[in-house]
Amino acid sequence: MSTLKSIVRRVVSAIPVLIGVVLVIYLILRILPGNAILTMMGEHAREEVVQQISAELGLDKPWYVQFWVYITGLFTGDMGTSIKYHKPVSELIATYFPVTIKLSVLAALVAWTIGILCGVVSAMRKDRLADRIGMGFSLLGISVPVFMTAMVLQYFFAYKLKWFPIQGTKEGLVCYVLPAIALGWSSAGSVARLTRSTLLEVMESDYIDTARAKGRSVPGAVVFHALRNALIPVVTVMAIQISSLLSGAVITETIFSLPGIGRLCIDAISGRDVPLLQGSVIFATVLVIAGNLVADCLYSVLDPRIRKEV
Amino acid sequence: MRKHLAFVLAFVMVMSLAAIPAYAAEEEKVLNLASESDILTMDVALTTDDYFIPHNVFDRLFEIKVQPDGSTDIVPSLVEDYSVSDDGLTYSFKLVEGVTFSNGEALTASDVKYTFEHLLTVPGACNYDIAQEVSGAQALLDGEAEELEGIVVEDDYNFTLTLEAVNAGYIAELTSPAMSIIDEQTVESTDGFGMEPADTIGSGPYVVSEWVPNDHFTLTRNENYWGEAPDADVVVMNVVPDANTQNLMFQNGELDIIDLDALDASIIDSTYKTTYADSIVPGYRVGVTFMSMNETNEYLSDVNVRKAIQMAIDRQSLLDNFYGGDGIIENGMIATGVWGHNEDLEPIVYDPEAAKALLADAGYEEGEITFEFSLDSSSGDTTSMVYQQIAQDLAAVGINAEIQSYDESAWLDFRRTEEMPAFVGTWTMDYNDPANILATFFSNSTSGRSLNYADQDIKDRVDAASSILDDDERMAEYQAIEEAIVVEDAAVVPLYERAHLFCIGEKVESFVPHWAGFSNFFVRDVQMK
Repeated sequence: MSTLKSIVRRVVSAIPVLIGVVLVIYLILRILPGNAILTMMGEHAREEVVQQISAELGLDKPWYVQFWVYITGLFTGDMGTSIKYHKPVSELIATYFPVTIKLSVLAALVAWTIGILCGVVSAMRKDRLADRIGMGFSLLGISVPVFMTAMVLQYFFAYKLKWFPIQGTKEGLVCYVLPAIALGWSSAGSVARLTRSTLLEVMESDYIDTARAKGRSVPGAVVFHALRNALIPVVTVMAIQISSLLSGAVITETIFSLPGIGRLCIDAISGRDVPLLQGSVIFATVLVIAGNLVADCLYSVLDPRIRKEV
Repeated sequence: MRKHLAFVLAFVMVMSLAAIPAYAAEEEKVLNLASESDILTMDVALTTDDYFIPHNVFDRLFEIKVQPDGSTDIVPSLVEDYSVSDDGLTYSFKLVEGVTFSNGEALTASDVKYTFEHLLTVPGACNYDIAQEVSGAQALLDGEAEELEGIVVEDDYNFTLTLEAVNAGYIAELTSPAMSIIDEQTVESTDGFGMEPADTIGSGPYVVSEWVPNDHFTLTRNENYWGEAPDADVVVMNVVPDANTQNLMFQNGELDIIDLDALDASIIDSTYKTTYADSIVPGYRVGVTFMSMNETNEYLSDVNVRKAIQMAIDRQSLLDNFYGGDGIIENGMIATGVWGHNEDLEPIVYDPEAAKALLADAGYEEGEITFEFSLDSSSGDTTSMVYQQIAQDLAAVGINAEIQSYDESAWLDFRRTEEMPAFVGTWTMDYNDPANILATFFSNSTSGRSLNYADQDIKDRVDAASSILDDDERMAEYQAIEEAIVVEDAAVVPLYERAHLFCIGEKVESFVPHWAGFSNFFVRDVQMK
């Protein structure tokens, strides 16, 4: 019951955060020069046509009037209409989100399973070859930019070896393998390094010695006793990584031509499509808040003492 | 055992017979293409850019045909015959009989009238310039009329069109993709015209069978097409925003035609002009890339400064260094391939010493002339390098062109204020008539171009030229106007007309690019193997 209360409290406290995000994005886009209609119509736009369409879309009204219309619309579930696509923002997000969620979930799987596995192996084989390889792998993942990883994977595994499609989503889930690895590798590196260091610290604890004295093997002590405690800071990092996975998706989706939220955001920014950009950012903010909420719940699963404190 | 063997043999024979039609049937010809960005709409009234669907799914009253020697002619398409009244205001058209839309409904004069009205009245309309010239268009735009008075439908195949003012180039304007004829019945009876493939009905060689936003759209052959059937059965346009990915796809055989405009010049030189040299299909972006100079600027208002800038820029070097020499140096605004292009226009000579002398004679000290040179950063690295070389060329004669970079949206917005001092722009022709470029930049209705051309007499002449009914006389007038603008007033620096290269894959036999070099070409001009 207290956990439920905590969740409700966190959800309610997220509302002012969301309004703040909407306001900041709105003001930033107002300060920046640029005009959605001109960008949409391009080189051949005529001034009178630009003015007419601006009036039709209510863009000639003062910014605070537009903001009020937008905010009041939000409370009725209306996220506005995209200036560029002529479609409701909510409809666009619903169309593009499935691709991003598939990519992000797969990337998270890559990051967290490989990361934790790599960290555990490195900790158990500290200063040996497996540790060096594991830490080298994670260092490479952290250091190499996502776009570079994506291009190298695309060149070797799709173009040269033809194991995977070069781009697109036509061939189903297999299309997401390379983008997920490209996107998840960096996070895997962070998770691996953190898992290794926290695990090594936990392994020094008295209760691990006790477990070992009672006959547990080293792998047994790690899996059944040490890992659970070592994972608490790792879960915190995982929650933070949700936002980096979403932002990394922008690049990955572009290189692999995946029609996801990332590309929608780029379109919205370059086209000054304020309703679309606000809708996308609000949606991403909700996802990050939800991710943090899940992480909080996981703490209590991993450590009953935290559950009691809540 | 024998029974089993007989059964197996019989089974094999039956299966073999069944397989024969499959082998005998002609393999479907699928043309795979790629575009950097998705279309936003299939309704041409709502876009001035997304012309692939209008070109291939719809027809127009007239089309431009590329002749084997590369020249172009305006030819009737949906029109069988037409005449113009003596005063040049009223056109009488007779449509080709028997043309149907892909849903089998007849294309009639009423659909033509509806098309003009749709262009003017659909919410968000942005492509109504040509329709606006028809008598009564303004009343319809202003909501003061229910229908377009200037188009009178006489029967299913005959109608008259009356213009508000004489425009001798109006037939050329009707070749524009904006003038794609739509089906009144479908648009009126459905909600999805322009957005839903099933509701987007045209009379052209293809129908839209699928559109997955930001992923791909598919065209299939229109079985009811009234003209010669195109060669490709299916066209798949993939949305591939990353140019390198497009490059890999082409080399992997996943694309049948690649638009080399998307790629870096270095990749074109190192890969395409070597490995695929025989597969490159050249075309030109018919139009001119030019340096614009704002005549309200303190220094650029002086014709001596503008003439010095013309002489200071090494245009051939720009074309050679950044575009591999693929293009034509232009001396005027009516570019090569445009009707009325003047081969004999006085050439602009690269002469930095003469430029320096001119500035000195005009009383300018070295380094005194400074202005912002505004760059649209979304136009790519090559354009950025062009800016840098122009700035270096100008610095060599003592002019400081300070490059300031903006993103596309901010750049367009700044230009619209009429205060952008100088920039490099490209105008690709919408239709083949000099009025398209001269009226856009040098007429009394020019706005938002940051050019502020000051010669009122020339602006009046540009406006009046469209009413000259004799074609030769009209072209002579446009050429005289061009000479005044470029040679006498030095209002702009014409740079070059760029080539637009495509590369065809193994499945393609031949391909003729769009007459004006649009990326949105006509698929009917592709022959598959």
